[in-house]
Amino acid sequence: MKIILFSDIHANLPALERALELLDLQKPDMMFCLGDLVGYHIWPNEVIAQIRRRGIATIAGNHDAKVGTLSPAQLEETGKNYAYKIISGENKDYLSALPAHIRLDFQLNGNTLRMLLVHGSPDSNDEYLLENKPEGKFLAVFNKADADILCFGHSHKRYYRILDTGNEPRRFKHAINTGSVGKPKDGNPQGGFVVLTISSNINVDFVRFDYDVEKAAVSLEESPLPTDLADMLRKAY
Amino acid sequence: MKIALFSDIHANLPALEAFFKDVDARKPDSIYCLGDLVGYNIWPNEVVDEIRKRKIPTIAGNYDFGIGRSSDDCGCAYKTDDEKANGAISISFTNQLVKDEQRQYLRTLPAHIKVEFQLNNDKTNLLLVHGSPRKINEYLFEDRDEKSLLRIMQDADADIMCFGHTHKPYHRVLEINDAGTVRFRHAINIGSVGKPKDGNSKGGYVILHIDENSSIRSKDSIKVEFIRFDYDIEKAARAVEESPLPNAYAESLRKGV
Repeated sequence: MKIILFSDIHANLPALERALELLDLQKPDMMFCLGDLVGYHIWPNEVIAQIRRRGIATIAGNHDAKVGTLSPAQLEETGKNYAYKIISGENKDYLSALPAHIRLDFQLNGNTLRMLLVHGSPDSNDEYLLENKPEGKFLAVFNKADADILCFGHSHKRYYRILDTGNEPRRFKHAINTGSVGKPKDGNPQGGFVVLTISSNINVDFVRFDYDVEKAAVSLEESPLPTDLADMLRKAY
Repeated sequence: MKIALFSDIHANLPALEAFFKDVDARKPDSIYCLGDLVGYNIWPNEVVDEIRKRKIPTIAGNYDFGIGRSSDDCGCAYKTDDEKANGAISISFTNQLVKDEQRQYLRTLPAHIKVEFQLNNDKTNLLLVHGSPRKINEYLFEDRDEKSLLRIMQDADADIMCFGHTHKPYHRVLEINDAGTVRFRHAINIGSVGKPKDGNSKGGYVILHIDENSSIRSKDSIKVEFIRFDYDIEKAARAVEESPLPNAYAESLRKGV
């Protein structure tokens, strides 16, 4: 079973279009989007249209969930809120009704393998699960959420960490950060997504791809959004 | 949010193609398949490939579970000797047809998918299973005792439970009065794309409507739309008759039984 996971597009249409072309070439069996379709860029409606047109199962990121909570006055503020102001009414409704989590229960070789997809953490779409989280605390997150494989985004820094539960028989937990399609923050300006293969073992591949970063950066500079966002795309921070 | 749910295609490619045409025109926001892709007709590989091509999140049905493991048991509750004999031909023929790659896909399908909504400061869990949360091949018919149905949903922490397996669609709203606080659970059988058994030979599926105002406390805030569509039944029936499969399956398709 080959599963594509991607997240944190952040209204970056050139990056999403390239990701969609490349992930088709992987011939995955299923695909999920882990949220943050909007914010920080000028193409939220176009990004949402691409995701909806393909019927991609998607969960809400903190930016997606935030849109419906902003007052008309807040939407008129100069700066970052312009990215939310331009979202159409129909797309706001779509974002407001997105689920928070998706769970998949696999039964392989007589064992149940529970996979949980969230945006930030199982507790909050705005909590960061960073790579250096202490092992004991990380295992507690898995136990509380009853998950063996936990997939999430939000930090825009991809990683795959295997945690040893220390139990006999030996059992492992898998933490997968999907990185970011449209706003990477790991110093590499390429977009990224994950190819997860579940069979007798678990395999995680990170795909990084070039896209027209300049087009995305210049469009930001020509928009009412803060211009430092363009520099962040070029340098990936 | 429009969520399309379909299941029980049973290797009926003309029905699946007609389903895709119908559902695409309705522009759902997401789409899930609740299993039983194979068995009873000649196109198991083609049906698997079409669903994979669209990357649709799919769970295993009992027939998929059996074929995925090259078993001669589909977990089907055949009643008569004739049904048993026909069933043995179908699973043996399907095991011959299905190729390694498609079998591997069927073997590694998840058993359940749960979509967890957080709307109106409530949690609303949408659980997708093939038969029941307890067993892949348990039949949850419409006349199921209310207490039993509620207990199954409660044990599985499901507010909305969607399933197939019986090929007979229905929607039951179950009311719970917990010390004066009223809430609702929804049990939804989504019918069958490729082998309906409710006397209507058209293919069937469900579109679930959930929006930001949907709530377990408001009965009508979750809407269920049952859709039936025409497909080339004769093509599917003749394919059965021209194959080693029992002709009874062709008649079932023509009559929707």
